[in-house]
Parts: sequence; structure tokens; C-alpha cells
Amino acid sequence: MEPADLKAAQAGTLESMDCLVTITGPVEGRVIEISGNAAARFKTAMERRINDVLDGFGNSPTDIKVGVQDNGALDIVLGARVEAAYARYIGRAGR
Amino acid sequence: MRRTMLYLPGNNPNMLLRGHLFEPDGLVIDLEDSVSAGEKDSARILVREVLRRGEFGACEVTARINGTDTEHWRKDVQAVVSCGASGVRVPKVESPQTVRDLDEEISGAEAQAGIPQGSVKIFCLLETAFGVWNAYDIAKASPRVTAIIPGGEDLAADLRTSRSREGTELEWVRRMLIVVARAAGVDALDTVFPHVSDDDGLRREANFVKQLGYDGKSVVHPNQIPIIHEVYAPTEREIDNARRIVEAASAAQARGLGAVSVDGRMIDAPVIRRARFTLVRAGLASDSESKG
Amino acid sequence: MMERNAVKREIPSRIDGYGYTSEKLFEGAFARRPSGCHAGPRIRAAVPGVGSKLAGGVHEAIMASGLKSGMTISFHHHLRNGDYVVNQVIQACAELGISDLTIFPTALFDVHKAIIPYIKSGVVGRIMGSVNGAIGKLVSEGGLDAPVVLRSHGGRPRAVISGDVHIDVAFIAAPTADRAGNISGQMGRSACGSIGYAFTDAQNADVVVAITDNLQSYPISPVSIPGVHVDLVAVTDSIGDPAGIVSGTTRVTRDPMRLLIAKYASRLIEASPYFMVGISFQTGAGGIPLAVTAFMKEAMKRRDIRGSFGLGGITGYFVDLMKEGLVQKLMDVQSFDLDAVHSIASDPNHIEISADWYANPWNCGAAVNMLDVVILGATEVDVDFNANVNTEADGALLHGIGGHQDTAAGAKLTIIAQPLMRGRIPCVVDRVHTVTTPGEVVDALVTEFGVTINPQRKDLADACAEFAASRDIPLVPIDELAERARRMSGPMEPIRVSDRVVAVVEWRDGTVIDVIRQLEK
Repeated sequence: MEPADLKAAQAGTLESMDCLVTITGPVEGRVIEISGNAAARFKTAMERRINDVLDGFGNSPTDIKVGVQDNGALDIVLGARVEAAYARYIGRAGR
Repeated sequence: MRRTMLYLPGNNPNMLLRGHLFEPDGLVIDLEDSVSAGEKDSARILVREVLRRGEFGACEVTARINGTDTEHWRKDVQAVVSCGASGVRVPKVESPQTVRDLDEEISGAEAQAGIPQGSVKIFCLLETAFGVWNAYDIAKASPRVTAIIPGGEDLAADLRTSRSREGTELEWVRRMLIVVARAAGVDALDTVFPHVSDDDGLRREANFVKQLGYDGKSVVHPNQIPIIHEVYAPTEREIDNARRIVEAASAAQARGLGAVSVDGRMIDAPVIRRARFTLVRAGLASDSESKG
Repeated sequence: MMERNAVKREIPSRIDGYGYTSEKLFEGAFARRPSGCHAGPRIRAAVPGVGSKLAGGVHEAIMASGLKSGMTISFHHHLRNGDYVVNQVIQACAELGISDLTIFPTALFDVHKAIIPYIKSGVVGRIMGSVNGAIGKLVSEGGLDAPVVLRSHGGRPRAVISGDVHIDVAFIAAPTADRAGNISGQMGRSACGSIGYAFTDAQNADVVVAITDNLQSYPISPVSIPGVHVDLVAVTDSIGDPAGIVSGTTRVTRDPMRLLIAKYASRLIEASPYFMVGISFQTGAGGIPLAVTAFMKEAMKRRDIRGSFGLGGITGYFVDLMKEGLVQKLMDVQSFDLDAVHSIASDPNHIEISADWYANPWNCGAAVNMLDVVILGATEVDVDFNANVNTEADGALLHGIGGHQDTAAGAKLTIIAQPLMRGRIPCVVDRVHTVTTPGEVVDALVTEFGVTINPQRKDLADACAEFAASRDIPLVPIDELAERARRMSGPMEPIRVSDRVVAVVEWRDGTVIDVIRQLEK
């Protein structure tokens, strides 16, 4: 098998109540890394949201790393940023 | 009431989630100028989620889409209509055909989302001399059109001038559009006052457009809202007068009389409607009552 | 064994390094009464013509003071984040081989993270006083053997005067001093205005050392702390960085969210029965409180109301209020900016007060008791109106108590003004992680969603309802606010802590209102 090219896509900002989501790949499986103040109290909910949004793309995307630098994003904002980042990652952004 | 319609940058979660707390009469979620070209996709997704959440207090929720000359506008309409925006503000309208195209796209989106046909209103930004010249036909191009709004910077540029604090360059356009709006039966909403820390300048401009007859202004900063509301607040005398007219009208109706008189003067229906609206602005009656 | 105090907190009946708590569980804001007499310092006598207080530098002064390992030393925090003195003294103690010190500061700032290596090496064995930033984090993770004891600005002088804490040597950063040990904070390159937090230490320590970078000829004037309390004067190149001591000018925020909260708070004040001629208030230097002051100024002018005094930490904004005649006096325990420093040095109506005078619950009447209105912040407030100002959302100890407890207890109207959400983190919760101030002394909470009144204060709710005929003050019940926050944030995961107590939060009367436990890794 040919080694796949490394890809990366981002969405969001580091402004208050937003988050910056970076998706890179390919990696082994689905890796989620979250940083920011809210992570101490909301990690499980954040991971669930990220997984739900990714699974919503249908083919249950794997082989990606999702990095979240959080600055207080509510769940809907986190979800929107992950969706935008993954759409960009797979080239389905349609800006 | 549309005294104040606050623009919220479409890619800014903080403002999208909190804008309604400043209690403007309406919100304009912006997908156009405040969103850079590379962020249109991300902003549209974010706006969709925030609209679905639907927590906007008592505000009328509208969205400014990208111009009909861009690749974005159809996606914008689909996203905001299906997620519950009650109005679409469209930039740079120049001809009735633009409004008809938009009407068709909105109708399609309404049908798809199972929303009653005609629910979503159109707010037309007239940002060129040509658009201003065609204002009446534009306002009459679809029953969805609910307001016309003169442009600011773009219009000034098209007029080959620039914006001044006194607003000399927009004065005639403002005077013309209020006549058009009333003739066409739509609201006239004024453009934004861009100097966010000049409270006195804002107050002067708001007083001027209120006196012309404008229903309100677009605002770019929450701190502008209370100032405009203050300008639009009726005086004690106006409230008192309006109350007497409304009471006389109700009494006449109860007695089955067609004609209403206050202090020996006959009062016409438009004056009664105006009096009811004064009470709404004073917070003494609800908006729905005034339309009855 | 655990015991429950009056705010339903589980307190171990014995805390290692603190002692038995059964006799001093929090029972209520005004429940505990003092008995007996003041404790006091060693009596000293100076013989005319014999000896000199001028000890040389910091090292020499420490040696002359007789400081030994295991003793308690105190500092004030008037030089704030510009302070050099704490770091200089600790470093000198290390070099002199002194260890296991208990430090008893009125507060520590970020600049003091320089002492962390000395905590690790055992020079500092214990901290009794507020810890911020990096030191707070170290404490939360279990970096000190004995628990930190947190006291309010009023609780601290109470602890000294009543004998809970005995100060062996007080090191007083002195922006100006003379050879007889007279001290003032109002002059010199490190001028900080009021030095109110240092008074009680000067009066009660066995040995008092003034450390100055501005030695002037005898006698200086004005004098804040007279040399009768001062044993030694040390001279050093610089006691602080002026840029970190005072801020330039204080400006009212333009941030719409803060302005909105401030507007609601000021309307609440205007609706309250205290908005009348002679009103007194404390607002501090935070963004929201300062904006409240600006709105109040507008309301006072509109309704032609003149206040009596402003209290606490004073800013230029308050100085302007006094100049415009909207308050008659300023009672200043801490001067926040240059305007306040200049004013206290030149205007007799700008009064320097000690922490004891400001806030001690056990004297014949502190200034907080004369206060009508105070605006405070908090990291969390719960449905019982208990406020937490000590720990952050992740459970780490990051802030001291300041005057929170004292002003809340003293003022007739205590308002906590705070956004409902800081990002995703709710500020209104079912149960605060740490109780700093009990709900019984918190009258109202103001957020961007409106005003929430403690049900104990039905009179206030009525006053607002009357004032709010035109929907000017949205009233929101606390449960609804907590529910709204929960809905926005989603469910929070619990903070994981061990049984070990790393800090004891004392109520201003010396009882234990809560404990802070070590964070689990």
C-alpha cells in the first residue's frame, strides 16, 4: 500500500465561546485531543459530541486525529466547528 | 416593532448566542460582509446550529445572506429558512427580478422544510443608485417584501461620495425611501451608524430618521440599542394623547359608532392605528394588538 | 470523623496541621462572639541615645530581628504584583539558613511564584494567607505539608488581635520611612497610597522591620505607621516595580455584556430603599463594579442624590465622584491607581484606614458595618446563594477571600454581579465547590439575564417589582437561572478530590466555613 499523504484541515477560532478544531490524518483509528479550561468538567460530553458529529457523516470516519483548542464553546458550537473541519478535510466544504 | 435590528457576525459564537440579551427588536445574523470568503462554509454551519437552538428571547430573527450575484446565496437561503429564520435580508437589490428569484428560492425552501408558504419575509438593502431608483418596483415585487433599507458605505460610494457625520450624501435617499415605503406599504429601516462610540452622533441621526418617519435603524453594536430605543420612546404627552384616542375608539366601537371624536375633533382610522402603535412603543400594549 | 457546619459542609473534626475543628465550626454569619482580652506583642523599650534602628540591608535586618527557623513572618500586599520584598526576604532567609517559616501575607500575587523553589526546599513550611496563580496550583496539588489558612481582610486582623496567629517578625514594605521607623505609603518612587493592611501587623508583631527604598530625614510627614511600633529599618535599592504597584488610569468598560449586567445592578440599587441621600458604597476595581459606579453616578445626578462615602479599594473613578460632590469622603484601605495615590496624599477627605478599621468583625464597629451597598464578584454562586471566590471550575485554589466576606456581612445590600456563563462554565450551580461567603449575607445576584433576589429579601423583590413597571428590571428566580445554565453547559463532571485538606477557609470570625481538598491527578 502506498503511504497516504498527510492532510490537515481547521475550522473555528480561539475567540471567547469558540474553539479551534484541527483534523489531521491519516493516523491509526480515531484520536481526540481536547485542551482548554472547560475540559476539566466537560470532557465526556465534548468527546460524545465530536463522535456524534463525525458519525453523522455516514461512513463513521476513522484514521483521523481531532484536536480541539477550546475557549468555552457550547456543544452546538463545538459540533458546528467539527462538522466544518471534517467537511473541509474530505474536500466537501463548498465555501 | 423594528426600532433596532442588531447585526450579529455569522462566524462569532459569542455574539450569535448572546446578541438577543441586549434586547434589540430584531437580529440580523450576517453571512455576508462580516464573514470572510474562506469562512462562508463554517459560518453557515454555525448559524444553522444557532438558529436550530432557537434561543433569541423576543427578537425577530432574520439573516443577511450573500448577494444573489455570488455562489453562496442559494445555500444561505436553504440553511436559514429551514432552520427557522423569519426573514431574509438581501444585499444590493437592484431590480424586481432579484426579489422574484429570491421569492422562488425561499418558496422552495419553505416547501422542503414544511413551513407555510409566505412565512419568511424579505428585507431589501438598496445599496446602489439604480436600486434606490427602482425602490417602489422592488418593494412591490413580492408580498414577502416587508422592509426596504438604504445602504450606507456602498451607496455613498456608488453616488461617488463618501459618508459624513452629518449624512448629507444620504439625506435625499432617506427622504425618498420613506415615501416609497409608505406608498408600497412596507417598513422603512435606516442604515447603521458606524461610529460605535459616538453616542451623541447616533442620537442626532436617530432623531432625524425618526422624524422622517423611519420605523427604526440597523445597529452594529449593542451599546447603540438603548440610545435608539430612548429616541423612539414616546413622550408622556404623546402617550397620554394616544391613550385618549384609543379609549375613544374602543368606546365608539362598543356603541357601534363609525365616527370617533376626541375633544370635539373627528379622528380618522390611520390616526387611531398610529395611537395604538404609540402605546406599543411605550411598552403599554403588545405588538399584536396594534395590528388589529 | 466528619462534622457538618451550618452551610452543610463536611468538615473533618481534626485537620492535620490545623487542629481540632469541633469547637469552631461555622454556625452562622454573626453567631460567634468573642470573650477575653486582646493578645499582644512583646513589650519593647528604646533608651534615648542608645542604638540605632538602621540595620543596613535586608540580610542584616533579618539577623538583627532574631528570626529563627519555625517562626511566623508577615507581609502586606500594597505593592501588589510589583512587590519585591517578599521574594527578597525569603531569599535572604534561605541564604541565612533559616527554614520552616510560616509566612502570613495579606495576599500573594503572581510575582511571588519566585518563592516556589523555597517552598520545595523547606525554607517556607507553611502559608497562612491568600495564594494566587502558580502557588495556588501548587497548594491544590498537595505541594505543602500544612494546609493553607484563608482569611478575609477583616478575619486576618481579628486572628492577630485575638491571638489565633502570633507574628514573630513583620516585614513592612515602606515606600517612605525615616530612621525612627515612621512609615508612609504616600511618597517615594514606590508610592502605593494607603498601607492599611500593614497596621495590625505593626501593632502586634514581636519585631517589626520596615524595608524601604526611600529613607528620608526624621520626621517624615504624613505618617501612616508611627515608629513607636517599628524596631528596625532596612534600606534596599528597590522595594517594587512601580508599573506593577499601581495601574495608570481606570476606564469604564465598553464591553456590552458587562455594561448590561452593570445596568441591571445599578437599577437594582436605584430601586432599593438605600438609594437616598447619604448612600455609601463599595465597588472595587473590577470591570463590572466600576461600570455599576458609572451608572450609579448617572442615577445620582438625575435624582439629585449625594452619597456619604466610598469604601475599600479606591480608584481614580471614586476620586472623581468625590471631586464632583457625589460622595463626601473616601475610606481607603488600598489605593488601586495613580489618581487614588495622589488623592490620598493631598485631600484630607480621603482617609487611610487599616484592615482592622475596614473589616474586623471583632472590634467596636468596622467601616463595613456602615456600608449600604457593595458590588462583588464570584466564580460560582449556588441555589442557596452561597458564593465561592476561592476555587476555579477545575477545583484549584486560585484566589484569596479579600474583603468578600466582610463587606457581604456588613453591607445592607450585597450584590454579586457576574455573567451566568464564563465560556461553557456556569457561574450558577446547585452547589458551589467551596463556600467562601454564606448565602445568608448575599442579597442579590445580577447576571445578563436580569436580577435574582435572595428569597430572604422579599422587601427587595417588592421594591424591584414596583420600580420595574416598565420591565426595567427582569427578575429571575435562582432555580430558573441554575436550570438555564445547566441547559447551556450540559451536565458537569464532578471534581475529583482526595480526602486530604490543602486549605481551610475561615469565616471572618475564625470558624471553619469550608475546606479545600487536594485535587486528584
